Order: sequence, then structure tokens, then C-alpha cells
Amino acid sequence: MKANLSIDTVLEWIGILVIFSIMSAIGNYVGYQYPFQESIVGMFILCLISLVGLILEKIIPVNIPSILYISLIGLILALPISPVSGVIIYYTSRVELISLTTILLAYAGIAMGKDLNEFKKVGLKGILVTFFVILGTYLGSALIAQGVLITSGMI
Amino acid sequence: MEVKNKYTSDNEDLIKPVKDYKLHLTVLLIIVISEYIGIISLQLAGISIVIMPLLYALILAVAIYVFKPITWIGEKQSNRASAIMMLLIGPLLAKLAIASGQNIGIIFNAGPAILLQEVGNLGTIFAALPIALLLGFKRESIGMTSSICREPQMAVVIDRFGFNSPETKGFFTVFLIGTVLGTPFISILASVLVYIIPLHPFAYGMACGIGSASMNAAAVASLSTIFPQYAVQMEAFSGMANLIAMVTGMYVYIFVAIPLTEWLYRKLEPIIPVIIKTDNEEREGELLNIESEFVD
Repeated sequence: MKANLSIDTVLEWIGILVIFSIMSAIGNYVGYQYPFQESIVGMFILCLISLVGLILEKIIPVNIPSILYISLIGLILALPISPVSGVIIYYTSRVELISLTTILLAYAGIAMGKDLNEFKKVGLKGILVTFFVILGTYLGSALIAQGVLITSGMI
Repeated sequence: MEVKNKYTSDNEDLIKPVKDYKLHLTVLLIIVISEYIGIISLQLAGISIVIMPLLYALILAVAIYVFKPITWIGEKQSNRASAIMMLLIGPLLAKLAIASGQNIGIIFNAGPAILLQEVGNLGTIFAALPIALLLGFKRESIGMTSSICREPQMAVVIDRFGFNSPETKGFFTVFLIGTVLGTPFISILASVLVYIIPLHPFAYGMACGIGSASMNAAAVASLSTIFPQYAVQMEAFSGMANLIAMVTGMYVYIFVAIPLTEWLYRKLEPIIPVIIKTDNEEREGELLNIESEFVD
């Protein structure tokens, strides 16, 4: 498995994550008036968690995707019993969740450019089905959640 | 610098994107414009539609690629952008996970609801399969409607039906469209549904965790604009729902979703042609009209 992970790969990951951090901090300053210095620290924390997750996926020989490691590390670090939770929560609260999506979709738009013909081929029908897939899942989940929340007396 | 072995494909994809500063500057420009415009709430007939900066970012980026006002954005940049995208999901997930960890107390109270609402994911089969069949999709519809844009499911579909099967093709169609258009779609859907079907914000919050990380973020942000007082809880619930879906999703998909979709397909597929027959006759009529126009 070692061959899977070279120093170059890690350096590239770091490079992209640093670029992402700077962009996000600028975005958060423009959109939400958070201080640049605090947002960038928050971004570095998020990126460090991602980096550890990515590296773990490569060095642990079990087939578990990095997204799972990243989620678990983030969750555990922010638990009230975690000694670093205060710092982590403070700085990451200076990064709006939605601002990250804005950046992702800017790249997605450029990436989509070359697939535009592919999209045209599938056309409106494919888009329509996709929208119904999302609508069905979202509403299905919400209805069940509503039922259980009422039964358990939470709302 | 490039060592040729079977593992380097990733490297080659990523080695240049880092240094493509023009691409990053273009994206930065898009972000600054989008964030500067900010969130817009449109009031339409008492329904408030929330439009997020992510939608402007997507449209601006596609426009820049298509109309090329900035000459250095080409196919190469497009390929690099898709390599970069995969990496950016990490920080997004980390942020969601932190929201969950921070509010673990509330989550324990809502535990049963979060676990059970995962079953709601199956709602997609009943909502979308008939639509896909009515639109004329065949076996593709099984791949299309049994999934909601999650990477692990991709592996399952390919493993089960084969890479060149219609099911896998259908899966990729929805995956591709869902990844790009799903995020702006759900951000608008979330705000509209609150008015059409007024469930509790907590229930909708949990439902936000259904899809990809960016869909999750978009839906929660949209709901938070409408219910700012519940923003913290909704973010925590959705993050946890997303995490659980990630862990359990693959098994539910293999043992429940695919069999259920195939069962429904067998039930519906023979009926559909009868329903759309009349429709087709009309369409053939239209075709004839068009042909005759050509002759004229």
C-alpha cells in the first residue's frame, strides 16, 4: 500500500488545500465580514482534518473511504469531552458552511464546461428524473423524521 | 518528476492543477462576485425562494467556460477543476462533522428520528421510478432512481450490473446531473417546500443530510435563512444524518434499495407502454407535421 502514497501526492494535496483556504477566507470576508485571520485559521483546521483523512485512507489497508475518516475525526475533535473542542469550534465557526459550497460549485461549473455536450445528450429528461430523485428522497426523509419526532415528543 | 506506475494517475491529474494560478484566480474572482451579491430572498406569492451565492458561482463559471471572455479557461482547466473538486469535499465534511460533534447532546435526543429517517431515502424509488419510465427510460431507470449521488453506491452499481450496463449508465446520468445541478436545486427546493408542506424545521434539517456534502450545506443554509433560530440544530442534525447515511447507506442500498427498485420496475414496466401509447401517437402526428413542413 505504501506505493499508493508519495510525498509528491501529499504536497499536492497540501497545495490545493492551502489555495482553497485562502479563497475561502477571502469569500468569508466578502460575504460574511468575518476577520480574514480567524477564517483562515478555521480553514487550516478543516484542511488538516481532511489531510489526515486522506492519508489514513492510503496507509490503512482496509477499504474505507477518506470521507468517513474525515467525518469521524471532525466529530470526535468537536465533542464536548475533547480538550481542543473550544478552539476548534471557535475558529471553524468563522467559516460559513455554505461559503465552501460556493467555491466547490465555481470549480464544478468550469469542470462541467467540457461535459456540456454530455448534458445536452441526456437533456431535459435526465434532469427531470434527477430532480424527482432528490425531491423524493428529501421529502421521504423529512416525513419520516416528522413522524418519529412527534411520536417521541420532541416537537 | 513523474514516476510511471499504476498509482501515478492521480498525481498526473493533480500536479498541474496546483500551479494553474490563472484557474484559481478566475475561481477567486467568481467567488468574490458571488459572495458580494450574497443571499437573495425572493417573495413570490407568499413563498420565499432563497437563492444562494453558489448558484451565481455555478452560472458564472459555466458562462466563463462557454463564452470564453477569459481566454485561459479551456478544456485543460476544465479537467483540472474536476480533479480539484474531489479534494475540496474534505473540508466541507469536516465542517459538518464538527457541527455534529459540538451538538452531540441534541443529537442523542433526536437519535431515533435521525436513524429512521434514513428509510425515507427509499421514497425516491416511488417518486422517481414512475417518472423515469414515463419519460421512456428502460433499465437505465433502475440505476437512475435507486441512488442519490453517493460515491459508495457507484461501486455497488458497477459491481452488480457491470460498467457498460444500462443501469450503470443511468446511475452516472443522475450522479453527474445531481452533483452539479442537485446543489442549487435542493437549496431552492428546501425553501419552497417549507411553505408548501409545513413540517417542523428539525424534520427538514434531518432530511438535508440525504445527498452529497454540498447538497447538505446548500439545503441547510437555505433553511437557516428562513429559520435562523434553529440554524445550529438543523446543521447538527443534517451532519449526523449525512454521516449515518455514509456508514449504513451502502448496505441499505445493496439489501433494500436495489431489490425494491427492481421489484417496482417489474410491476410498472409492463403497464407504462399502455399509458404512454396515446402520448406517442400524438408525437408521431407531430413528427409527420414536421416532415410535411420540410417537404413544403
